[in-house]
Amino acid sequence: MKLLGREVTAQKVLERIEDRLRARGLLPADAGLGEGSAGALGVEPRVDPLSYNVHALEEHADPTVGLPLETHRGGAGQLVLVAKWAFRKTGQVFINEALSRQRLFNGHVRDAYAQLSAEVLQLRAEVARLKAEKEAAQAAPPKATPAKAGPAAGATSGKRAAARPARKKPSRT
Amino acid sequence: MVVHQLIPCLSPGDATGNAAIQFQGLLRQLGHASELYAGEIHPSFRALAAPARALRPAEDDWVLYHHGIASPLAGRLVHLRCRRGVVFHNISPASFYRGTGLEHALLGGRAQLAALAGHVDLSIGVSAFNAAELRAAGHANVHVVPLFVEPERFAPGRADPRLRAELEGPGLSVLTVSRVVPHKRMEDLLALHAELLRLEPSARLLVAGGMDDGSRYVKGLRQQAAALRNVRFLGKVSHGGLVAAYRSSRVFVSMSEHEGFGVPLVEAMAAGLPVAAYAAAAVPETLGGAGVAFTAKHFAALAELVRELHADPVLRASVLGGQQARLRQLSAEAVRPALASGLAAGEAHVQARAQRASPRRPPPRPARKRPRVGVLVQRYGDVAGGAEAHARMVVERLSAHWDITVLTGCAEDHLTWEDRFPPGRSRVGSAEVLRFEGAHARDMRRFNAFSRTLFGAPQDLAHEQAWIAAQGPVLPGLYRHLAAEGRRYDGFVAFTYLYAPTAWGVPMVADRCLVVPTAHDEPAFQFDAFGDVFRRPRCLLVNTPEEKALISARFPGHARARVVGVGVDAAPGEAARFRAKHGLRRPYLLYVGRLEAGKNVPWLLSLHARLRRAYHDAPELVLAGSGELRPSGDGVRCLGRIDEQDKWDALAGALAVVVPSQHESLSLLALEGMSQGAPLLANAASAVLAGQARRSGAGHLFSDAESFALAVQRVGQERDVLSRRGLAFAARHGWDKVVAAYREELAKIREGGR
Repeated sequence: MKLLGREVTAQKVLERIEDRLRARGLLPADAGLGEGSAGALGVEPRVDPLSYNVHALEEHADPTVGLPLETHRGGAGQLVLVAKWAFRKTGQVFINEALSRQRLFNGHVRDAYAQLSAEVLQLRAEVARLKAEKEAAQAAPPKATPAKAGPAAGATSGKRAAARPARKKPSRT
Repeated sequence: MVVHQLIPCLSPGDATGNAAIQFQGLLRQLGHASELYAGEIHPSFRALAAPARALRPAEDDWVLYHHGIASPLAGRLVHLRCRRGVVFHNISPASFYRGTGLEHALLGGRAQLAALAGHVDLSIGVSAFNAAELRAAGHANVHVVPLFVEPERFAPGRADPRLRAELEGPGLSVLTVSRVVPHKRMEDLLALHAELLRLEPSARLLVAGGMDDGSRYVKGLRQQAAALRNVRFLGKVSHGGLVAAYRSSRVFVSMSEHEGFGVPLVEAMAAGLPVAAYAAAAVPETLGGAGVAFTAKHFAALAELVRELHADPVLRASVLGGQQARLRQLSAEAVRPALASGLAAGEAHVQARAQRASPRRPPPRPARKRPRVGVLVQRYGDVAGGAEAHARMVVERLSAHWDITVLTGCAEDHLTWEDRFPPGRSRVGSAEVLRFEGAHARDMRRFNAFSRTLFGAPQDLAHEQAWIAAQGPVLPGLYRHLAAEGRRYDGFVAFTYLYAPTAWGVPMVADRCLVVPTAHDEPAFQFDAFGDVFRRPRCLLVNTPEEKALISARFPGHARARVVGVGVDAAPGEAARFRAKHGLRRPYLLYVGRLEAGKNVPWLLSLHARLRRAYHDAPELVLAGSGELRPSGDGVRCLGRIDEQDKWDALAGALAVVVPSQHESLSLLALEGMSQGAPLLANAASAVLAGQARRSGAGHLFSDAESFALAVQRVGQERDVLSRRGLAFAARHGWDKVVAAYREELAKIREGGR
């Protein structure tokens, strides 16, 4: 265990504590308190909103499935829990009936969201690819500008010339 | 700039709401208009915030959304067409809440945090730890603006005396302040307490904070606690109760595994309690090297540590000294620059995104010969009220020297604040008046009930601000005007500390503001939330030396105060004309003012009735003015509102002017009476009135029926002498001196001096 604090001579305080623990038989003579690992949880990882929402919609799409029974109240709260449990047990068939259309609707929302989020991911990837291409193109050295073709060059570019239809000179008549 | 805040919930004790209220104060101190909008609003805080659906920001406005667990407001924010920012208060790890209803709200909140990343121009973490989580969630332009604590709110005098007496006891008592939820690891505190009981059999453990008694976690804790002794769960406590808990304990311990900031750690420092806390998440950062953070939960060792903090005077004093230094780093003064720089960076980000140069500041205007001055007052025009009349008198006289715009509301009635005058610009007398619509009217019955719940007991900032909002009038347009146009004014004069336009407007323009507080020793005067009005302006223009002493005692370190008061421009009065007009033949005592219980008019009527019953030649009582009361009785004449000449005639003929009110910062009626040779009969409980009577030598005081009868008798016997003294005193209170004082103070502001 480490102690942190500017106003505390941590080593001295720890030694005093360890001595007392040893005297009480709570710490072997040759052992210390160790270092500990506070803050092991650290920064929480990013939760991707699109995939989280798809999973959450999947999990909660069926409204006929009850949430865990909970209460924040003591005393009477327990009676309420029992009443809720009894209601679910005896009334599930009616709950299913009342919420059948909601279940269908939620299914559509879930499927639509899954489809749309997949397309968003696809579009993001496409945008990222195009951006990368653009950046690569900008980063590449500019190509040397070809010299202007003179009359002599015309003979070597016969292929291109042949591809273009010859322009007719407009008649002045 | 306009910086609104959007919060999921505004209710007493809610940490996010409290932070938003703190931010609002800082934003106003930075000159920005700031309103609160909330998804859910507790009934007692309804005046303080508008519903989130009412938020309609302009394109250049900022909206700072305070984010915690999943909220529909995150989705609302990204669809607002304005500058957007998020203030992240952190989210407890979902791993502590697997299988509960909270798990999804926690994970959903994290998903929303990540989804917001691409849609905000500014991200604020209330700690570097939170800032790191913002970055991990994909946010750029991340800044740290810590929360702060006002130490004076945790002074010993703020403790609930009954609870403190109940909690105090000899020996070691350990306190933790927190919601009783799994990630706070209360079971670890119980384990520590078990170890402490081995060392100190009388050791006590106090746990202050809300708890869900029905939850499995709390039930388990209660069972565990029952096996020990001296464990007390206090539940959610009032602010006074919280201070009592801090002040009756010896050591503060936190075993929490996750804190985004840890406000109770700082509160404990403010309450003079050594802090020992598990060094998880933002805890070491919040402690900032103060207190003692530990990295492992070896309970026997921690028990020894707690005992050292309790019993070793050298260690204790050293830790407490370090905590005081840390407190100064977490003050409003220290935090404000962080918020300012965060907003500036957000603004720069917006400009960069819009690929346009930052707007050029307009060139400085050439100095005007006549200063432009804004006068802030709750009502203005033909309205009854001492402070309002005071403001009007000052405005009328200073209009000859300044270009004045009176910035006020549309209400005529100070009880309901219902808008009656049209909003916008108009003229009243020689002054331009700019009126702003009120956000809501006031229901006096509800307001009085709310006041009764707050007065006389220490409150936190949120409740005090809620009271100021309920007191009103809340004029959002005024704050927008001050934020946008404030720099166009050379100075401001704000009247009456007690109302929202002054309480919230003054901090926005404090560097150019003179405040005429008209402070009384009344319950609301005890609110720390008014501190900015007394501490931040350039000068307080007080009415009497008694008012100055009152302010010095309540708000030490207040701004420079100068006794200015008001002047009297007496018109000649004719007693005979008044007597003839109203058919008065006998001597009479005169009261002119609001006919309200708050002015002690019923008490005056009862004293007069007893006087009439005891003495057959007792004078009559003439009352002039309007209000909720309709006085009547033997020898009582109620004239309603009278015109100015009638008033001077009435004063000239009165045996004495009687002022029964206790809460006065200056009695203009007393001065006006003296200017007509009428002596003063005043309530002895008012230090101000007693001072006026003593300084003038022109009056007598009363405190009950006997002293009232005696004072009336003495006034009858000594009227000529008292009258001469009164005339001399009034002659020394001319408007020329008052006007000169206002001009001098504004000149100092324009010169930049203090």
